[in-house]
Amino acid sequence: MSALETSVPTSLRASADRRVEVKGLSKSFQLARTTIEAVRDVTFDVRRGEFVALLGPSGSGKSTVLNMIASLIRPTGGEILIDGKRVVAGKATPDVGYVFQRDTLFPWRTVADNIGYGLELSGVPAQERKARIAECVAQAGLKGFESAYPSALSGGMRQRAALMRTLIVEPQILLMDEPFGALDTHTKIDMHEVLLRIWEREQQTVLFVTHDLGEALTLADRIILFSARPGRIKDMFTVDFDRPRDAVKVRETPHYAELFQHIWHSLGEEFVKGRSA
Amino acid sequence: MKRYGTLGTVGWQVLICAIVLSVWQWGYDLRAKLPWLVPDLLDPYFISKPSMIFDNFLIQSCLTSKLGVFNGWFNGEFAKCLARNENNLWAATAITLKNTFFGFVTGVVSGFVAGLILGRSDRLSAIFQPFITAVNSIPRIALAPIIVLAFGIGDMSKIVTSWIVVVFLVFFNTFEGARSIDEGFTNAARLLGASEWQITRTVVVPSTMAWVFASLTPAISFALIGVIVGEFIGAERGIGRLIIESEARGEASGMMVAVVVLMLVGVVLSAIIWRLQAYLLRWQRQRSAE
Repeated sequence: MSALETSVPTSLRASADRRVEVKGLSKSFQLARTTIEAVRDVTFDVRRGEFVALLGPSGSGKSTVLNMIASLIRPTGGEILIDGKRVVAGKATPDVGYVFQRDTLFPWRTVADNIGYGLELSGVPAQERKARIAECVAQAGLKGFESAYPSALSGGMRQRAALMRTLIVEPQILLMDEPFGALDTHTKIDMHEVLLRIWEREQQTVLFVTHDLGEALTLADRIILFSARPGRIKDMFTVDFDRPRDAVKVRETPHYAELFQHIWHSLGEEFVKGRSA
Repeated sequence: MKRYGTLGTVGWQVLICAIVLSVWQWGYDLRAKLPWLVPDLLDPYFISKPSMIFDNFLIQSCLTSKLGVFNGWFNGEFAKCLARNENNLWAATAITLKNTFFGFVTGVVSGFVAGLILGRSDRLSAIFQPFITAVNSIPRIALAPIIVLAFGIGDMSKIVTSWIVVVFLVFFNTFEGARSIDEGFTNAARLLGASEWQITRTVVVPSTMAWVFASLTPAISFALIGVIVGEFIGAERGIGRLIIESEARGEASGMMVAVVVLMLVGVVLSAIIWRLQAYLLRWQRQRSAE
């Protein structure tokens, strides 16, 4: 690490605490014969260890932005820097973990083998792998299900296993695309608790895409609000509730209600716009 | 097992067997009294009878002499009988099984590898697509005489015939399987740092397996068909050869023995595949239990 720091040019050192820099990002899709502009000139920074929620109605391009940061989609314009290094589409950036909206657990692997997949790829010896899997299984509350196949698990358990599969390789940056979108309200709040405890301990930099304002307020330090298509940044809000947060109790505070109302108004405008578009 | 009516499933199965075997055994005897009821096809000259087939089986397998006397194991009669006939039932079954096995294995392996490579490469599949469609349009069995001509009447021509019917079946299934892989899986693997080779090994191969296995049960039957047809056209040994010889002698029971043996072989081979599939695709079974 120290060797790296000394070799970093001064121009980059200025942005040392900015892990993710998104500059003038745009994306257009060709659908049939029409061009659809999904993202228009999006620029923002994320600090090291910051939890940022990308909030917006569906079709606001927030997932597209996340997928471009994840190197899954090639941008039409602009660039993305992670730790000062340019993201190249199709090339996974080391240290970046991704949690999908739909859990993409491999159905042919047991829960334990799914969680240990990333370690297996990097050739971690079986003995060490086993110990770390056991740790993650315990953290996710999946004890007793290690040798079950994903098809036997409930939605919440599957998403916890998927989260652990991403976290076991200890990514410094965590990209999450509506990871709890398919879960019922109670399971969702359980997952918020799990995620908050992990984040408080590991302090990863998190980019969390959601259309659920309550979820964004519960989790994030900052909310970036996207407008309806074409996706642009409409506004940014700082969420200054104390940490550590309790996923249930935080929603009971007057400050939460105040912030909710304030952002809801702005978000609501976009819902209406998205409907008419 | 769920019971239907007073007879269980097995009861019905036994009853059906008994009826079919009885009609086969005694049906033609009714012809003298009820000629309008009994079709020509029941003539034992064409289809033999269960009792004759069983007797013929004992003779062909050297268990009894042609006079119906049991060949002793210790006095060496059994061994002598086997030695007299190079293509006795045991030897014929062994050789047919051996060639089926090699045709099946080579066909599955080459079909799987080719399907995987073309399924994962848009460029290669675009180049080869018209050729594959053209070759696939040939009824493969029509090539058997050419193969026998080229590879002789030994084992190799049987293996090649068997291979050529198996390889396309497995190829197409693997190809479809490799094309229809959920992108979510490959993306997840890639984002966890998997190389292309690791993606192939840990995502493409396992998720294609269900498709490959769907082709293996027909593939094993096809492999057997390939070998038998090869033996029909020209062979010195094998069950196909036994059938041709019995036909030349106008001996229906001899042919039927061979057919029954083939049926048993087919059932056993399918059962093996089925067990293997149940083990390797065990992750799928929990889904149906859900």
